[in-house]
Amino acid sequence: MRDRAAIVGVGYTPFTKDSGVSTLALALQAISAACADAGLTVADLDGVSTHRVGDSVQAAVVAQALGMHDPRFVSDQFGGGSMSHTTVAQAAMAVATGVAETVVCWRAINSRSEFRMGGTGRPPPDVVEFQYQVPYGYATPPQQFAVMARAYLERFGLGREALGQVAVRQRQSASTNERAVMRTPFTMDDYLGARWIVEPLCLLDCCLETDGAVALVVTSAERARDLPHVPALVSGAVWGGGHTLFSNHRGDLTTTAAADSSRRLWSMAGVGPDDVDVACLYDAFTPLVLVQLEDYGFCGKGEAAGFYADTSMPINPHGGHLSEGYVHGLNHVAAAVGALRAGAEVALSTGQPGYVAGSTSAVVLKADR
Amino acid sequence: MIPGIDRDSRPWWEALSRHELVHQRCDDCGRWRWPPRAMCGECGSFAWSWQPVTGDGVVVSHIRTHHSFLPGIEAPYSTVFVALAEQDDVVLPGFWRGDSEPAIGQAVRAVFVDQEGGESLLGWR
Ligand SMILES: [Zn+2]
Repeated sequence: MRDRAAIVGVGYTPFTKDSGVSTLALALQAISAACADAGLTVADLDGVSTHRVGDSVQAAVVAQALGMHDPRFVSDQFGGGSMSHTTVAQAAMAVATGVAETVVCWRAINSRSEFRMGGTGRPPPDVVEFQYQVPYGYATPPQQFAVMARAYLERFGLGREALGQVAVRQRQSASTNERAVMRTPFTMDDYLGARWIVEPLCLLDCCLETDGAVALVVTSAERARDLPHVPALVSGAVWGGGHTLFSNHRGDLTTTAAADSSRRLWSMAGVGPDDVDVACLYDAFTPLVLVQLEDYGFCGKGEAAGFYADTSMPINPHGGHLSEGYVHGLNHVAAAVGALRAGAEVALSTGQPGYVAGSTSAVVLKADR
Repeated sequence: MIPGIDRDSRPWWEALSRHELVHQRCDDCGRWRWPPRAMCGECGSFAWSWQPVTGDGVVVSHIRTHHSFLPGIEAPYSTVFVALAEQDDVVLPGFWRGDSEPAIGQAVRAVFVDQEGGESLLGWR
């Protein structure tokens, strides 16, 4: 399916701490904006694709609200950031196979005001492993990724500055992004002085919890050429899985499922890490950026802190989940599309690399100029 | 109260409350399995039995939680993640019951931590 489908429209709602509206309203706003951006209307859509963890409106309800009487493709996947990029991958598959012509992908969440991932006031998602974790007071994402951070820093003899450089640079990037929720730069000293959340992660290692939605319109590469923006061809799209912290398949705590799935991704896309102009790497927490640079093949295992310090490749130029906002991966795809429109040729965008959820997803996009 | 106990896991929890640490082991290929489930992912066998493990293991990571995410558990507290001596990809979380802070690579042994409802949880020291 390489280069058969393209992202032609991107839509955002504002990113806030309290949207004041339903996830259905957020979804409809972002989808309408994405259609307008693509030079299309919602009447041109014939498929819908989203993901959620019991925290957002069902895909079929959105299809109905959009006025779609007979959607040709409805994908409504269970999962958080790990599944984010499958929304695009499945839309591209539907278009490439002719099941649908134009599919809209979105993620709509009130993750600050209604459904915090930390689980304030709602039962945890239906995940079998939780019973072995929650009784120990171990239930939240910052704890899960602190497990990785500790193992990673110790294994490679790194100090907290290895993580801090990611937090500092992404905030710097966000300072010029008017969409970003957090735009005030901070220094490494500020980072090192920030309060602990879960050692070894401090407040500035953790993403923001955000209310907002992002939508992306996917159509055929052929049709994309007649639309206003430079098409972002879906060159590669991948799923992976099997590695969770308690999966009984894990070799070590510093490698993710992406170490396996990335090989298929590059092969499918026909490019490699050296060809990438911009990387939008899932960054719910800082250690994920370093581990993915290794697992996606930009550098060897244990080398990411030095690679990050030296590289000129933009990594999360929008500020990422740490500073732009946390829309669970799809604001990364949107940022990648933006970079391609602005002149980049090849972009990588990734979901949570399968450390805790047992699955991962990613896409490689190419500008069709 | 332990949330989410299911038909696969109930015997594991019941054994733990009797202060027995047991795990599923494949009767055909001998692989230890975690968490509990009906089939061996290694060889496809549905034949398995609950077998005792020593409770010996090695710390593979540890965290210290400074924010009270859950009611009833006051921060700060440490949580450890232990790979069993029998098979190092069986990783169990637990309370830390050692005298000093845990360290990766430290050899530890399981202890049973009784809860008010009659259940037991795992601690490591
Ligand atoms: Zn077996």
